[in-house]
Amino acid sequence: MIKSTDLMTDEAIMEAVKDGDLQQMSLLFDRYHKRIFNFLARMTMDRDMAEDLTQNVFMRMIKYRTSYRHGLKFQSWIYQVSRNVFSDHYQANKNKSSNFIDVEKVSDTVADRDETMDQDEREELLHRSLAMLDEEQREVLVLTRFQQLKYEEVAVIMETTVANIKVKVHRAIGQLREHYFELEKI
Amino acid sequence: MEKEKIEDLLIDYIDGKLSEADRLLVEKELVQNEETYKLYDQLKEVIQLMDKSAKLEPSSKLKAGFDSVLKSELNAAKGTKTIFFQPSFYRVAAAVALLIVGGGIGFLISRQQSNQQAELEAMRKEVEATKLMLMSMLDNQQSASQRVLGANVAYKMENTDDEIITALVKAMNEDTNSNVRLAALDALRKFYQQEHVRKTLIASMATQRDPVVQIALIRLLAEMKEKEIIKELQRITTDEEELPAVKDEAHAALHQLV
Repeated sequence: MIKSTDLMTDEAIMEAVKDGDLQQMSLLFDRYHKRIFNFLARMTMDRDMAEDLTQNVFMRMIKYRTSYRHGLKFQSWIYQVSRNVFSDHYQANKNKSSNFIDVEKVSDTVADRDETMDQDEREELLHRSLAMLDEEQREVLVLTRFQQLKYEEVAVIMETTVANIKVKVHRAIGQLREHYFELEKI
Repeated sequence: MEKEKIEDLLIDYIDGKLSEADRLLVEKELVQNEETYKLYDQLKEVIQLMDKSAKLEPSSKLKAGFDSVLKSELNAAKGTKTIFFQPSFYRVAAAVALLIVGGGIGFLISRQQSNQQAELEAMRKEVEATKLMLMSMLDNQQSASQRVLGANVAYKMENTDDEIITALVKAMNEDTNSNVRLAALDALRKFYQQEHVRKTLIASMATQRDPVVQIALIRLLAEMKEKEIIKELQRITTDEEELPAVKDEAHAALHQLV
């Protein structure tokens, strides 16, 4: 059965949260936590870390709910907050370890544990190649390919033009292809 | 054709985003050039793998963690909300109502008696009483809710004086409670046209440490097109210690002002 809240737009719910109805945040959590978790898991290549950071995203949105700007698409905002949370985490860890992502361990930590046994070898190769890209290239691919966001939406999230996003995506795919087929030879 | 250009066309071809003319061009190239076909095949493989990549499922820990965060936030919010239902609120509301009614009656009587002097005196007393009440509320160190109410009373006043402004500025800059600081800023916003209020708010930008107030302040001053804050905004965007949300707001304000 459809509940009345199911029909509410993300933006209307966020406006209610902003006005102090914090309970409504759980609706947004239900709608978005898997997407944000997947984004952060692909970015950090670490599931446990991605869960922690996903929680930080929602905490930050509750704490700074008044900074949500009327008229801004909620999806764009949550991805902007997620990027900031990831970037803070990355900055904080960059100095501690020079090898932030251990490529060799990527498949162990990212692969769904239930599927590890019959995991597709190609998907493992894909993740290892993805880990070899720089942060920005990985990010545009995660957003446009894994998360299937439109170039227009990613341009808003990353505060740049659609044409620029397209160039970045194409370059990143080119790089990914090179890494993938180099690793395949090994 | 350059490799990068071919790669561009091939990716759009795989995504089905090419015009009819370009599509035919690519297909011709694919038939004639083995290297291009190999590149196409490889690109298609990585693109399809990404598009079909399995979605990862978070553990139940994530939902449990969120529920607990939300619960504590709800409790914290409840703590500040219930103040409005405390008897003291009704007492203050009654006092304000009485002042208004009293003022109104005083006004009528004085009018009937055509006594200008008494009329002015009554109004002066009314304003004075309201002022005294709100000053003592703003100064109530035991109760943050009383201080919020004090700021709200100031917000509802038509006119204000230096003493009230000073008390509001002090509350905005120094109060230990975030809600009081915000309520004080709201009240000050109303008197923004007064030069010293404007100057005080601009000066507060450099000293304000509460991110919620910082964001509200940046938004207000950007809305008022205060170019004097540009330097301070630039500092915020480069300051390591400022929170990302504050930096975002400063960036947005710079866009508006520059």
